Amino acid sequence: MKGKHRIIVQNKRIRYDFEIKRNITVIRGNSATGKTVLVDMIREYYENGTASAVDLQCDKECTVLEGRTWTGQLSMMKDSIVFIDEGNEFVMSDEFATAIQNTDNYYVIVTREGIPSLPYSVGEIYGIRNSGKYGTLKRIYNEFYHLYQMSDYIQPVCPNKVITEDSNSGFQFFDGVCKKTEQMICISAQGKSNIFALANKYINEDVLIIADGAAFGSEMEKMVRLVQENKKIKLYLPESFEWLILSSGLIEDNSVMDIISHPERLIESREYFSWERYFTEQLIQLTQGSYLKYAKRQLNPVYLQEKIMYKVLAVMKGIKFDTKFIE
Amino acid sequence: MLRVYYGNMPGAIFNTSVYFKNAYEDSWITDPVAKEMILDIDKSTVLGSAVIDSPVLGKIAPTSLSGGVKTLILMRNEREKVFNASTCGDNCAKWILKLAEDEDLTINLRHLMNFGNKAFDICILNTNQIVHSMKELVPIAGLYV
Repeated sequence: MKGKHRIIVQNKRIRYDFEIKRNITVIRGNSATGKTVLVDMIREYYENGTASAVDLQCDKECTVLEGRTWTGQLSMMKDSIVFIDEGNEFVMSDEFATAIQNTDNYYVIVTREGIPSLPYSVGEIYGIRNSGKYGTLKRIYNEFYHLYQMSDYIQPVCPNKVITEDSNSGFQFFDGVCKKTEQMICISAQGKSNIFALANKYINEDVLIIADGAAFGSEMEKMVRLVQENKKIKLYLPESFEWLILSSGLIEDNSVMDIISHPERLIESREYFSWERYFTEQLIQLTQGSYLKYAKRQLNPVYLQEKIMYKVLAVMKGIKFDTKFIE
Repeated sequence: MLRVYYGNMPGAIFNTSVYFKNAYEDSWITDPVAKEMILDIDKSTVLGSAVIDSPVLGKIAPTSLSGGVKTLILMRNEREKVFNASTCGDNCAKWILKLAEDEDLTINLRHLMNFGNKAFDICILNTNQIVHSMKELVPIAGLYV
């Protein structure tokens, strides 16, 4: 499955209207916002159709996955939007992560727990907000809202330490930047699951954490809590390091704008479990045979040339590196 | 005091909705504290042991209460058991602290619930440390969720 899909589901009392655009969407938030009611309505429509008195509009089939027989149910779900309510412990298992890879479904999972085995985006974690637009009709209108915004910082962030999730090209790039400033240190966390513990060691320093937003969803809640309690720590979460390069304007190809502006139109969920893999593959293909040839494991030294480095850093609005070395 | 075990806890009741459905008693619903919790979290009024008036869903059975409120009612009434409190949103946090005021309450959390800005006493069972604020709680509990 690819693209954005709008789902409108309603009965006489309540209406939900939202869009999803990635293979994994997570819903969380306060109690009594209607998460379980939403899943119940999807199930009732799937089981009984219009005889359920639920009206569901979507260009894809919407269904519910639950219980001990989930593997059997999943094997029959094709090209569908699959909802999973909280209380289904299997979503935390590696078996589930393996089973949904290479499927052409989108999954909407209700849970407050982080799911480390699933590479979901920080931008696809939502709460449900009651907007009350249909109050006069005695029907409550619910919409999804982003729990975590990935917007750029309003006040400039001037870090003296950078922690990267990446240990390969992304780390090598920011390590190169830090070395040029002669005042900053770059540390690789060697993976997203180590970032929290590492950040805890530097809570009194101006630390900038750079991680792949496309797959950082499972870590987001605790990182946000840490940042709320320790204002010197900042998070910068682009889709991925490769997305930063693609967004920098270094690659002169007509397809780049589409790739970074509307990736959901291009990314087939069956092929790419996480969008970061897609951006990496595109960058490798687009730079093949050019002086910007990109490899994930070892950074091409050309990216450490000052003008190129500056173009990539310019994408990170609100983050102020000491780039005097460029002038 | 509130005692919290963070992360996967063998023996804790994970699916609290199913447990509630099969275990709740009429008196649990008409209990004044439960009524208050239902009004605060679900904005609903208890009309009787079997009927609750919800502003959104109309007249509902206790089994249709929110997952958070059902878990709070379980915590209040079956204190010897440990329930998965990650079925509760942050809007349930003050009630969890209240339920633990007079008597020890042990819960399992698989996420970092926000217990608010006021000082509290929480024993993190993973490390047996007592914390009094989110600033103290987050660096410890975050390692287990």
